[in-house]
Amino acid sequence: MLSPINKKTLEYLAELARIELDPREEEKFLKDLQKILDYFEELKMLDTKDTRLMTDDSGLKNVFREDEERKNTNHQAGIEAFPEKQDGYLKIPPVFESEP
Amino acid sequence: MTTLHNLTIKSFHEGLVKKTFSALEVAQTFFKYIKDTDPKIGAYLSLNEENAIRDAEQVDLTIAKDEDVGILAGVPLAIKDNILIKDLPATAASKILENYAASYDATVIQKLRAEKAVFLGKTNLDEFAMGASTENSAFRITKNPHDRERVPGGTSGGSAAAVAGHMAVAALGSDTGGSIRQPSSFCGVVGLKPTYGAVSRFGLIAMASSLDQIGTIAKTVEDAAILFGAINGKDPLDATSAEVEYGDELFAPRLEEVKRFTVGLPEEYFIGGLDEEMRRAVEEAIQKIKSLGLQFKRISLPHTKYALACYYIVMPAEVSANLARFDGIRYARNEKLEMRNEKLRDIYFKTRGEGFGAEVKRRIILGTFVLSSGYYDAYYLKAQKVRALIKKDFEEVFKEVDVILTPVAPTPAFKIGEKIDDPLAMYLSDIFTVSVNLAGLPAISIPVRKYELAKDGLPIGFQLIGKPFREADILGIGQYYEKITA
Repeated sequence: MLSPINKKTLEYLAELARIELDPREEEKFLKDLQKILDYFEELKMLDTKDTRLMTDDSGLKNVFREDEERKNTNHQAGIEAFPEKQDGYLKIPPVFESEP
Repeated sequence: MTTLHNLTIKSFHEGLVKKTFSALEVAQTFFKYIKDTDPKIGAYLSLNEENAIRDAEQVDLTIAKDEDVGILAGVPLAIKDNILIKDLPATAASKILENYAASYDATVIQKLRAEKAVFLGKTNLDEFAMGASTENSAFRITKNPHDRERVPGGTSGGSAAAVAGHMAVAALGSDTGGSIRQPSSFCGVVGLKPTYGAVSRFGLIAMASSLDQIGTIAKTVEDAAILFGAINGKDPLDATSAEVEYGDELFAPRLEEVKRFTVGLPEEYFIGGLDEEMRRAVEEAIQKIKSLGLQFKRISLPHTKYALACYYIVMPAEVSANLARFDGIRYARNEKLEMRNEKLRDIYFKTRGEGFGAEVKRRIILGTFVLSSGYYDAYYLKAQKVRALIKKDFEEVFKEVDVILTPVAPTPAFKIGEKIDDPLAMYLSDIFTVSVNLAGLPAISIPVRKYELAKDGLPIGFQLIGKPFREADILGIGQYYEKITA
């Protein structure tokens, strides 16, 4: 039996997903997610012990290309589209925190 | 000057080459009409007036020189705001992309540019294409042009409402679990969701990559076919796009061929939860198709009842991965944050916490849950196996029938606000459409009859599902259906 979703699990999931939730949202999501997970219970009735995965026979093949230089990436458009830039470089917030 | 209300791709093209009107006149008339009408409907998020006028003038120059133009030249189209058009906003109806402008054209846009189509603007949707009513847009609620107290359906609600409300000749949408077909049914227009891989997804803001597909919304089946004919094809920039040649049979089906089809009626789609009015409408469609001479057969798709649960595990899992890219560093930034002084971690949490709406957050968290250690086997792996069974159901019945006929949605358009606080009730709107995406099949929603705006009550559509890459079969039946219902 799967454990129902609780406040601690929800907070852990929000942490993994890098999403800030306010207490009101947490309360609503707990209720919503429990209802949704209850709905998923139906799947357990189905025996899939011997079922192959869809991905096993999707028919999709890897797409390869020659390992050679291609000039179809628009470097400039990429830089233009970035929120903050300087002298052709992308500006991002500091990754390492500064010394105290 | 012709009225916008009876313009189709076909009739626009005829008027254009006969010089009954110019592309510029029609584009200007559309913008005027949109500015008068759309404040009441809310189909568009942004307009592309300057470029559209310029593109229409170019088409007129070609006509003036008596050069041939293609069937889509000058045709005013609406584009869902999760499809990229270079330099135009592409918000996916999310606050997190409020200030983002696309840096390139989606492949479908490139193809339509080559055909000289005109883009009127970008249409509203549920945020990141998550919802069933277009109420989840961060910017506005779109209203159903047939009854403004009701939703247009979703997630391509803006595109469906624009076409139904005569604010575009046709439109592009995207369909992950019914997002073209259900709003088309609610708004009384035609919506085609092509086979997975038929149309390139390059430049479509990804929601669930194994389910997403761009498709067409139009006033007639023929128009939906013409537009699909222009956007399909293999694209090196989308590894899942398929090498398929569609011929003239898309637009010029032969009645002798269509008559030979056997149509399957799956028993699982006609029990429980189906509104009585819907049942009667779908029965009406069946009788009319019978009158064309097609055979019908009762069939069974035994795993249908597991499809919705399966879908709501697979889809959020992919959502949680695809939406990880919206981190507050790329695309657009939270202007309230002083980047230099924030810890990177806080930028992620605050940007995503404030930038995403409730449904998006709910799905990211649900997806994170079904993929997390300890739950992966019970949910995600299980759902992938169920998905294989659902696909196999279709493969089996397609040995006996050529197409399958079902309802599109359990009810006609519902009231604004009716389901917004109950996610599960909203999810149930997708119950007849998600299987098609799980199995990667083509399907079309066709209005049972012609519905004049605000005259004939609420529109209802029926769904035809085809074999993989056999869009021609469902479009063919649809085009003959239209002839006998016109």
